[in-house]
Formats: sequence, C-alpha cells, structure tokens
Amino acid sequence: MSLKNTLTIWFGKLMVKTLHLLGRDAGNAPGLILWELNKDCLKAFKVDCPIIAVTGTNGKTSTTNYLSHIFESTGKKIITNKQGNNLDTGITSLLLNNCDMKGRVKADYLVLEVDESHVPVIFSKMKLETLVLLNFFRDQLDRNGEVETLILKVKKFLETYEGNVVLNADDPNVSRLGLANPKNKNIFYFSVDRYAGATDQPYEVGEGKFCPRCGEELKYDYYQYSHVGRFKCPKCGFGDVKPYITAKNVKLDVPSVEFEGEEYKISHNSIYYVYNLAAVYTAANLYNFDKKILHETFEKFEVNNGRLEKFSVDGSELLVNLAKNPVGANMTLRVMNEHKGAKELLFVLNDNLADGHDVSWIWDINFSVFENVTRVVTSGSRAYDIAIRIKCSGYDPDNIVVKPDLDDAMNEFFKNKGYKYAIANYTAIQPTRAAIKRYKEKVKEGGTNG
Amino acid sequence: MDKLKILHMYPAMLDLYGDSGNVEILRYRCRMRGIETEVVKHELGDKDTDFSDVDMIYLGGGADFEQQLLADDLLGLRDNIKAAYAKGVYFLMICGGYQLMGQYYKDSNGKKIPGLGLFDYYTVASTNKRERCIGNIVVETQLDDKSYKVIGFENHGGQTTNVKHPFGKVLAGNGNEFASSTEGYTEKNVTATYLHGPLLSKNPKLADHIISYCMTRKTGEKYIPEPINDKLESDCRKQLFERLLK
Repeated sequence: MSLKNTLTIWFGKLMVKTLHLLGRDAGNAPGLILWELNKDCLKAFKVDCPIIAVTGTNGKTSTTNYLSHIFESTGKKIITNKQGNNLDTGITSLLLNNCDMKGRVKADYLVLEVDESHVPVIFSKMKLETLVLLNFFRDQLDRNGEVETLILKVKKFLETYEGNVVLNADDPNVSRLGLANPKNKNIFYFSVDRYAGATDQPYEVGEGKFCPRCGEELKYDYYQYSHVGRFKCPKCGFGDVKPYITAKNVKLDVPSVEFEGEEYKISHNSIYYVYNLAAVYTAANLYNFDKKILHETFEKFEVNNGRLEKFSVDGSELLVNLAKNPVGANMTLRVMNEHKGAKELLFVLNDNLADGHDVSWIWDINFSVFENVTRVVTSGSRAYDIAIRIKCSGYDPDNIVVKPDLDDAMNEFFKNKGYKYAIANYTAIQPTRAAIKRYKEKVKEGGTNG
Repeated sequence: MDKLKILHMYPAMLDLYGDSGNVEILRYRCRMRGIETEVVKHELGDKDTDFSDVDMIYLGGGADFEQQLLADDLLGLRDNIKAAYAKGVYFLMICGGYQLMGQYYKDSNGKKIPGLGLFDYYTVASTNKRERCIGNIVVETQLDDKSYKVIGFENHGGQTTNVKHPFGKVLAGNGNEFASSTEGYTEKNVTATYLHGPLLSKNPKLADHIISYCMTRKTGEKYIPEPINDKLESDCRKQLFERLLK
C-alpha cells in the first residue's frame, strides 16, 4: 500500500475512533473530510468481495434492505448502508467504519444503496459486480438538475462497464441504459405484467415521453404507474426487450405475485413495491439463492423506517410512507385507495435543503383520486402549501386542518380513530415517525389525547 | 353561463416546476364562481389550433432543451399570437414562456434561440450553468392600482434586460437579473414572470385579477368575483411573509 493510502486510512480511522469516543455517530463527516484531503481516498480501501449497488429515484432504500436481508439470511457477512448515506462521502464513512488499519474491508458482500449522480464517481474507483437500476423520475429539481442530466451521467458510466446490470424494462429511462455498452452481455431486464390497476392513458405526470434513440413519441399499450408500463417506439422498435424475469399474476388484494411459475405471498399491496421485489428477485437470482429464503423475505420482511411502515396507535391503524417526489406521493395515494372505507390523511411537507427548497412538485401529485378521505391534516414547514394544493384539487377546505408543529398535528390526527395514512417528504419522515412514537408513549402513560 | 377558454401552450413540454398548477387553480377559482372553463392545448406540431376565440393564453416553464425544440413551432404561430395579443387576450407566461415571448434567449451553451418578439426584452443565460437565481422570492406588483405582494419560487439561469414595464418590485430574492430590483413584465393583458410555486397558488388576488379581466372583456360588463374561502392562502402568505421579509 502506498504511503498516501496508508495515511488516508490511518487518519480516517483516527477520526472514526475519536467520534466514537465522543459518543458521536460517524455517519457522513469522516468521509467528507477524507474526500477533501484525497480525491482518490476510495482507492485506499481493499475490497475483495463482490459489490452490489442499487440506484434509481425511488425504492433504493427498500430494495437495498431486501437484498441485504436475503444475503444475511444465508449466513453471509455483509456490509450495507441501510439508513441511506448514499453519497460518495457516506459510503467512504461506511468503509472506514468497517475496515482494518490496512484498509481491508472484510465481508462476503457489500450491498450498497447509491445516489444516482454518485454511481460514476464511486465505481470508477471500486470494482462493481452488479448494478441494479430501478427507475428515473423527476425528483428535487432545484437540487438535482433535470432527470435527463442524471440519466446521461449513469449512461456514461455504463458505456465502459462490463459487470451485471439489472434493469427495469418497463421504464424507458432505465431500459435505454441496456444499450449503453453493446459489448456488455450481462444485461438482465425485469418486467411486471399488466396489473388490474394499470391504465390505457397516463394517470400521473411522467418523464419518458419520447424515444431516447430516435426522438419519436413512444406508444404505450398500458401504464402501470407514472411513465412505467409497456411501451415501444413505433419508428425504431426501442423497448422491445426480452426480460430475464417477469413478475406475473400480480394480485394486490391477496397480495401476491408470481415469479418463474411460483406464487409468492407479499406484504404490501402496491404496484411500485412489486417493481422493487422484481428487482430484488432478479438480482438475487444472479446469486442463486434458495427460493425458500425469497418466499420468507417477501412474505415477512419489513423495511419499516418510514417505508410503508405500519403503526397501531390508540385504536387507529396507520400506514406511513416516505414520498420525496410526485411519483412517490401518487403511489401512496393509490395504496390508500386500495382501502375502500373511510380514512384520514396526514401530509408532512418540509422545504429544507435536502428536500429541495422548491415545493412546487406537490402540484404534480394527483389528488383528484381521493376516495372517501374524510379529513386531511397537514404539517411541516410548508404545511400551508400542501393544504392549498389539496384544496385546489377540489377537496373541501373545511376538512383540512393545518398544524405546522408535528406534535400538534399528531394530537389532531389521532383525535378520531380509524384507518389512517401518512405521507412525509425526505427531512420530514424521521421527525414524523418520532412524533408518532411520542404520541403513542403519551397515550400509553394515560395522558390526554386532546 | 359564460365559458372561459384557456389555451395551454405546450403543456407536455413546458411543465417543469408544477406550472400546470396555474391552470388548475384558475379552473378551480372559476368553478367556485360558477364560471365554466375549457382548456384547449397546443402541442408541438399541432397544425389546427384555433387562436381566434380564446380568452387567455398560458405558457409554463421548461428546460433549455425543450425551449430549443419548440422555438420553431412557436415562431410559426407568430401571426396568430400577435393577433390574439392585439385583441386583448390575456397572456400568462412563466419562466421559459416569459423568455420566449421576448426578442431572444441565449442559453447556457451560448446558443441563441429566437423569441417571438412580442415584447422588447431579451434574455441571456450565464454560461456557467451553476450561476442561477434560485430561491423564494417576493415581489410587489400593482393590481388595479392597488399594491399586492406576490410570493413564488424562482429558478432561472437567464438574465432578462430591457424590460419596459416590470411586473413588480423585488422585496426578497433576485428577479429579472441577479440582485435585480425588478421582476417580470406586465401590461394590462400580460403577466410574465419567473415565479414558480406555482405562481397563482399563493397569490389568489392575482388569479382573481386575471379572471376578472377575462370575464369583463368577454361579457362587456365589469366582473367582480365573489369572495371564496381563502383562509389557507391568507395564513400561508402570513407565515411566508414573516419568514421571507424579516
């Protein structure tokens, strides 16, 4: 190991040790400092095990957690960034926390969630075995730039990459990346057959309207959600791929799905969750896992952490989901509508740096689908903005209660008992979960719930 | 009952920051007053769009790429659009739509996109793509000689100059250029601005001003919109003024 690499690792380990001694979490800071000192710091680590990375706009954390769970179930030692921390600096910190003084990372597999824009920078320095690409949607535009810019970044990386690529065949923005390197034979598409909720016309705002190869408008047989569906370019034939894995017989009422002729019970009734599972199944297939592990994982494993997380609170059943862009929010509204009875919605909207300061994306959420929503409570630093948005979709403003403070919002939200759904954006999700737990504690202690 | 006809130009392409919400808000506020609305769309390549009987023309914002794609199509509509403008049809234009109605737009790659030339202003974007005016913005405009504070979110690389009648005075944020004192462009039947949010979501009086103009022009009688429940909007404005105008 070169002197520079040795010093990089020593200094990094020293930072991690110091932070731990101070009782601090070594989340992002050591990686950030290391990158400042040495732009090639990732090269100082010796990772001999295979690396599997998951990227895309929505579903990274869930998919990574599922894959980690499957790998762990076979007794393998894995290192993973379960809590996010998916930028170059966060991953550097993760490796620092898990390496010895020589920079050796001891594990059977690294399973990493990686931000779309950081894929090239990280894996130009570390050897990637499998890249899972879920989807590309508009997301935090003032922070990330346009979707197209992100796609082109990943495409450039893939042009010289020869490892496994697991791709969503039903998202034109992802499917096109299978063409990035014609020499790469390790392209594995996954697809999901038309489900009962698919529509002939687009239902929500989407991104992939034109053929990335020839510019012609894409023709869709159907849309599963947003711009994800069965599409084809009428001019050049783009989109006509043979999937390696196709999820069939999606039954959201059971809920269940079929892979390679076997029915799998699953734990959530959302089409976008089925897409995540199809990605998980495809990636897992490349590593030949016992199907029993997949059955058990799909039926029982829960990511929680604000991803379709269930809570029982004081006589109410609550489902909480993160939504940091219109597609995520639209998906949660669809899950909500699967429950036909009366229900209430809490929407927590912040406009911090990590959310993107611009909240106008909420106008791309299709609230006109509301069915039997008896009341809406809004919270967060932009509680009024989301309230106005919902009102202008035609919802009675008298049934909207605005409580910017989260604890006030919980008192209001749980006033009535019943079925409840909560949507929170990026920086709002953890505070929302914490406020729910505080409320639960308060009720348990016999406090008032008013 | 009278029906307001809104022509939404390039909704599939000029729809970057939730701007289509403006149309949704106008329709909502019309509906609450019992005014029927009809939205006709003009998409790239449409040949038979009828400009003759619309009450309002709306253009949202888009990225450089989309603006280039539609520039030729737009220039082909010059006569129709000029005629509508001369007849007093209301023009509401956001960001990219605002830029395209001027003399020209020089994008961040130095590429000059000709504008429709309806107005004298022109826009030049910094060649440094990171140099953009981004953030919450408050401007003070005049609606029927009463001043009104307008809240929105700006996100533009283009710097617009030679603006004869700005839409408003900047109270917080950048405006037409970096640290500018003015924002947007206005005439009696024109509101052109960089404000997203979407623009009308937090500025209901501006929305009603546009509706009043269109209805008055259509019916020949002064239209005064009935008040509707805007408590959420007024609370929102209060909260944001406290935060942005300190």
